[in-house]
Amino acid sequence: MASSRRYYRPGSRLWLALRFSQLPIEVLQLEDTDNKAVVITEKQRVIYANASASTAGVRYGADITTAQLLSNCEAHERNRPKEAQALADLSAQLYQFTPYIETYICQHLPHAGLLLEISTCLKLFSGVRALLGHIIDYLHSTPYTYEYEFAHTAKGAWLLSFQPTDISGEETKTFFCERLKRLPIQLLHDFPDTIDALKKTGFTTLGDITRQIDAQKISSIKKRFGLKFAQAICDIFSIEQDLQQNSLFDKPLTVYKPVEFFSEHIQFDYPISQSDQLHHPIEYLLQNLSQYLRKRQLACQHIEWKLADIYRNNFLLQVYSDSAESHWELLYDLTLIQLDSRELPFEVDSLTLHCRDARLSQNSSQSLTFDNTRKSRAGARSFAITIAKLKARLGDAAIYKLSYRDALLPEISNAAIALNEPCNQDLPDIHKKALRPHWLLPSVALIELRKQGLYWRGQLTLLAGPERIRGNWWNNPTARDYFIAQRHDNVRLWIFLDLHKKTWHVHGIFG
Amino acid sequence: MNSTPTDNNDAALERLLNRTDIWRGDSRLFLPQIALDSGYTDINASLVNNGWPTRSLVEVCQKGFQQQELILFAPILAAGTGYIVLLNPPTLPFCQALIQAGINLERVIVVQVGNKADFLASFVELARTESCEVLLAWQQHQTFSYTELRKCSLATNEGAALCVLFRPDSAQQQSSPAVLRISTEIRPTDIQLKILKQKGVLQQRQSEPINLSLPKAWRGLLPYHLLDQTSLDQTLLPGHSSAATAKRKSATVMPIKKRK
Repeated sequence: MASSRRYYRPGSRLWLALRFSQLPIEVLQLEDTDNKAVVITEKQRVIYANASASTAGVRYGADITTAQLLSNCEAHERNRPKEAQALADLSAQLYQFTPYIETYICQHLPHAGLLLEISTCLKLFSGVRALLGHIIDYLHSTPYTYEYEFAHTAKGAWLLSFQPTDISGEETKTFFCERLKRLPIQLLHDFPDTIDALKKTGFTTLGDITRQIDAQKISSIKKRFGLKFAQAICDIFSIEQDLQQNSLFDKPLTVYKPVEFFSEHIQFDYPISQSDQLHHPIEYLLQNLSQYLRKRQLACQHIEWKLADIYRNNFLLQVYSDSAESHWELLYDLTLIQLDSRELPFEVDSLTLHCRDARLSQNSSQSLTFDNTRKSRAGARSFAITIAKLKARLGDAAIYKLSYRDALLPEISNAAIALNEPCNQDLPDIHKKALRPHWLLPSVALIELRKQGLYWRGQLTLLAGPERIRGNWWNNPTARDYFIAQRHDNVRLWIFLDLHKKTWHVHGIFG
Repeated sequence: MNSTPTDNNDAALERLLNRTDIWRGDSRLFLPQIALDSGYTDINASLVNNGWPTRSLVEVCQKGFQQQELILFAPILAAGTGYIVLLNPPTLPFCQALIQAGINLERVIVVQVGNKADFLASFVELARTESCEVLLAWQQHQTFSYTELRKCSLATNEGAALCVLFRPDSAQQQSSPAVLRISTEIRPTDIQLKILKQKGVLQQRQSEPINLSLPKAWRGLLPYHLLDQTSLDQTLLPGHSSAATAKRKSATVMPIKKRK
């Protein structure tokens, strides 16, 4: 009880803001960026310019062409997924210092950062300065440039990181508020329109706004500049909006949830040289994985096996499944297919199973009809497992469905599609009435013209035709007269005369 | 009382005779119980259980590059609801012809394999799958030993599919564990089908060759001097219809049979 009272005591929070102002360029891991002008662009606008480009006059929001004319700079497209991944990695590492981590991404500037609430961790790390030392030590090992600052609120710490100063750890809320009041309103980057309005009204610092609030209450700011802006000011200074009754508790903190993944390994008592001997350990680890996934209602499509020997040689085996699985049987079969097709690279000393790409298994939809769907669902699942095994053995391209593609030329109209794609079976009337062979040759075969007539693996006699097919005029104009021909062994062939080249070809076989 | 060697032999023989995979002349005790209607009355009449046997290996030997698979099996492919797998087909099936024959393309899956090991593994996997209704497999450049065919045959017993293996004509000389072996040959106006071997029917009692008429459209235009002859059979492919053939039923369509 005592700890919870201390935890929720108003005003006791201490936030550390870590701002990564050069994240857009640093995540791209470009080489030699100090000696040349480099800009990062998004939607053809410059969102970051390095020192050389800035010196040449390139500014935030400039057109990419203007930037190149000014500085002859090298332009790179912004990679937001990489930035998000970098922040996630940093959060995962900083989780060792505090469980309260929030990510902050500025919408109007390429700044991103992390906000750490550290008041509950100070005792463990012997005070602010010691904790800060640990965090800085870690940040030095990363490739990212950072600025940091403390405050009693998360947004306050973020703003103060633009004007950092040395603190002792004994500072109070009043100290931080005084520092915040001296900050210019231009730092409110999330409200570019409101900054203009504030300037016109004569506000220059955040202190001007707080004086307005002291004189006329927060409702005046809310009325003039909007609810969102008023809420942001309250968050920066930790101002209570409801003056009738102060809230009993602070806003709950967001607890950082580290990414969970499965990793388990088996150390063998003796080195294993035959893959058969790995079957049982593989089954054991996969059963553990299956338990892990089911308890969390997860499913996975990808697992990784790591085989290692006593000399620290590693061999990785990636196993992919066509459908997300929480049961171990299919993953076991797929692993054995891969393992049986190769020799062990060395005598295996340990076997590790990693599964990092688990996802919620509740996304599958099921029919609500009450006929034989249970049986058909089981059948569909068994077939899906069979297909997954075949894909693991033969490759994705070896298994396909057929679909009609709306085209005049037969070879273009016959499409091989992936199993999860729907087939087009709407055959136009023109094709419905025409006689078509059951088999198409993968590429048309040239027919010899001999004295006796047409010849392809035997003498050909024309039976019926022609059916003229013309098309593809925009690309490679094609005109063909199709005939049914009978070979000496009575096989019926679908042949055509190329009207442009005046050559005969076999295209299909009736059967 | 100690058992005599004769008793032991009798028991062993009894056990042996109780095995379902032992052929016993014309005894139909252990024959596959479920058969699929072939769509052709003549073929049904020649087959035990009046249809293509499921859960067992059917072998079709064809001459050279002649393909008569879809004529033979089009009625079954159009009628069912389960998956149809074409394993190692000699060339690309043409979707327009399949749609014309009334085959749902969503059910048709093509599997291409590179070597014999992959073929056997794929055949075994697919034959064992419950939801695979028809498995049509082509032996192309590979040659299979009796043991490999036996492996395929055993796998078919575990599933519920009609499993057909198309082999070259030369394979007729090789012994095979298939429950039904037939050979086909295309002729000017028909396809001749011979039953080479059928479990439950003695060799000398096998039916005469069956002739299936080719579709009229395949015959082409008659030479001028034959135009007044109208005696040629006008039978069309199952799935095709015309005013002339609408009244005459070329095949009796029967439901899947189960013999007790």
